Amino acid sequence: MPNVKTEMRVIYLSILVVFAVFLLFPLGTLFVRSFETNQGFGISNYLSILSNKDLIEAFGNSIKISTMTAVITTILAFTLAYAVNCTRIYRPIKTVIKTGIVIPMLLPTITYGFAIMYSFGNQGLLTKIFGRNLFEIYGFNGLLIGYVIYTVPAAFLLLNNSFKYIDKKFIVVSKLMGDGSLRSFMNTIVRPLLGTLGGAFVLSFILSFTDFGIPASVGGTYYVVATQLYQVMLGSIPDFNHGAVIAILMLLPAVFGVLLLNYLEKLNFHYDKFSNIELIQHKFRDICLGVISSVIIVAMLSIFAVMFIAPFLNSFPYDLTFTLKHVMNIFQSSDLTDVYKNSLLVATLTAVLGTLFAYCSAILNARTPLRWKSSIDIISMMTNTVPGMVLGLSYLLLFNGSSLKGTFTIIVLCNIVHFFTTPYLMAKNSLSKMNPSWETTGELLGDSWIRTIYRVILPSSASTVIEMISYYFINSMVTVSGIIFLVTAQTSLVASEIKELQHFAKFNEIFVLSLLIFITNLFIKLLCDYLQKKQLTK
Amino acid sequence: MLKLQNVSKQFDRKVVLDDINIEIKAGEIVSLLGPSGSGKTTLLNIILGLTQLDHGKIIFNDMDMSHVPMKNRGFNIVFQDYALFPHLSAYENIVYGLKNKKGLVSEKELQEYIEFLELKPHLTKKIGELSGGQKQRVALARTLVMKPKILLLDEPLSALDGVIKESIKQRIQSIAREFKLTTIIVTHDPEEALTLSDKILIINQGNISQFGTPQEIINQPQNDFVEEFILKQLQIKRQNIYNLFGEKHA
Repeated sequence: MPNVKTEMRVIYLSILVVFAVFLLFPLGTLFVRSFETNQGFGISNYLSILSNKDLIEAFGNSIKISTMTAVITTILAFTLAYAVNCTRIYRPIKTVIKTGIVIPMLLPTITYGFAIMYSFGNQGLLTKIFGRNLFEIYGFNGLLIGYVIYTVPAAFLLLNNSFKYIDKKFIVVSKLMGDGSLRSFMNTIVRPLLGTLGGAFVLSFILSFTDFGIPASVGGTYYVVATQLYQVMLGSIPDFNHGAVIAILMLLPAVFGVLLLNYLEKLNFHYDKFSNIELIQHKFRDICLGVISSVIIVAMLSIFAVMFIAPFLNSFPYDLTFTLKHVMNIFQSSDLTDVYKNSLLVATLTAVLGTLFAYCSAILNARTPLRWKSSIDIISMMTNTVPGMVLGLSYLLLFNGSSLKGTFTIIVLCNIVHFFTTPYLMAKNSLSKMNPSWETTGELLGDSWIRTIYRVILPSSASTVIEMISYYFINSMVTVSGIIFLVTAQTSLVASEIKELQHFAKFNEIFVLSLLIFITNLFIKLLCDYLQKKQLTK
Repeated sequence: MLKLQNVSKQFDRKVVLDDINIEIKAGEIVSLLGPSGSGKTTLLNIILGLTQLDHGKIIFNDMDMSHVPMKNRGFNIVFQDYALFPHLSAYENIVYGLKNKKGLVSEKELQEYIEFLELKPHLTKKIGELSGGQKQRVALARTLVMKPKILLLDEPLSALDGVIKESIKQRIQSIAREFKLTTIIVTHDPEEALTLSDKILIINQGNISQFGTPQEIINQPQNDFVEEFILKQLQIKRQNIYNLFGEKHA
């Protein structure tokens, strides 16, 4: 590792300043505001929230439905990951599962709600196909479907990754030792994955507990914490102090969840070495899982099918003739094209600046001997914990009087901080695997530290950088919760505009805008995947 | 000539090097030999300038180098795992440093280095496509073209197998002779140290156990450590080889 250089200290300090101003101060303000009342400081805000029957009910609802979601999601995601990793089903099916599962991630959660309405509603696509109303969608059922679709991809990616690190030789050993199917399954699959299964459960719980898009669209009169927070802050009589209390209460389960995740990490197995081995033949297992996993994927994607159909029909579901007029309307409406341009601007800035920021943080932590550098790890745990709505709200409280209010800058900064953890860990992981002597070698060959980073470290981690850009871009395109308190009429983004259009029941516009986000994200994702592949094979 | 005077180093109150004094003549090959944790790598890093010393002096050609930064000392190192840059070709790795110091080496000299290390057929290859011995030679070339005043080698043979080992050993000796280059090598293998170098510095627990030529070490071991850990290993090896070939070859 190179010796400490002035450049390192300067970058480190700048990073700390950004986090102080855009993470610690806002959260501090939020905390203080939650205790602020007309008669000075006290806990009366908390008391009034905790005695508000509606709010308590909303909390109960949130916990109940998030738990249900977490159970269903963990089972579904495990089934899919098992099918992909431990069966000999036809390879193209595995590819379809792995590709199809990420499609929901390219859309804002608020779109899920409208897709569910148009699929299961009275006049919905799936209702028509089945010939009857399957169930009441507004409220509990709709929310549950939405949350599950939202959380299954994340849980699947987590489990799929862990499955790769399971030594499948143990399955063969267990069979040779005479284990029955159940014992073998428990010892060689479930036990090594226990930590990750717990992780998938907690992750799904936190994601559903803090999401705003799904309850905003399909929640109906089934109140959850996120919608209550929105009501209190942006309803008819905004109450910032009560909002701060709800935000703190929303933060608590997230804090608890992240602590639990760190604990569960310890349960994970670490095999020293693992090799690929032929899986045992088992026709029945393969057919069953092939069918089940295909059904899961088809069911998930069929809900989105309406999004690709409805906007191209005259008046779904009454007049089913093809037309491009809805699409043309959007492109002719300067309001909506401006909103799309805003979104592109914000996503691009977030992707470029966020990647730079996270990459620098990771370099300092992984490849320098700076003192106190592990503070960045603590910060990354914090950004992982704070829900988007809480972060956005705390910005609203701190920067309300400042010139940052209503700018794109504040939205971009909020996104950079909100989504910091994953790109940071990607970079840290890849940088710490590289040869630790490169900087010293570069220096002996006449480079400055920065120059070695530019000439050697950066080109060697190009693939990771592309992945980071893609992550930041897609997430800032789809986030609703993080920015809902920060957008104004001038800085409106597609995802928040969809929320507005809901009031005017302009569902065709909603779907066309969602399609725009989807196509943009798909393009970026495919482009990044292609560039990454090119990097890796070079 | 390189002089180390009273060199000492502690890490978190643990003494790693305790009052080391030696002199290395220009063009000599010196091995630092000792078990893991003996302090030999720390001593190498102190000479290189990567690690700061707590007490003592490093004097090179009558200049006090103790507080000269690594970059300005003009010494250079080949790391154990070579630290080659994987996104560049063998040739791009070799000329990496020349981009920073234009005119240090003429095109003709560069070609001579490449030919001397027999790297011509491999220049366009990616690092991943090179064998262990080829990587070692690319790393040597990259370091040599910077015209270091002292060449440091950290376990240069440990990542190589059998036959290649012997040929790289000869290569290191011929480099030292050809360029009159003072070469300091870290190793934990007595056979390697005694067959490769002019002088051996045996370090144990941060202290010099013995500093001398291979003959001196074999014939006049100065203490139990040299006898027990260095010579015994060689004797067992010798016995095994005798048994293989039969006594008549002894």
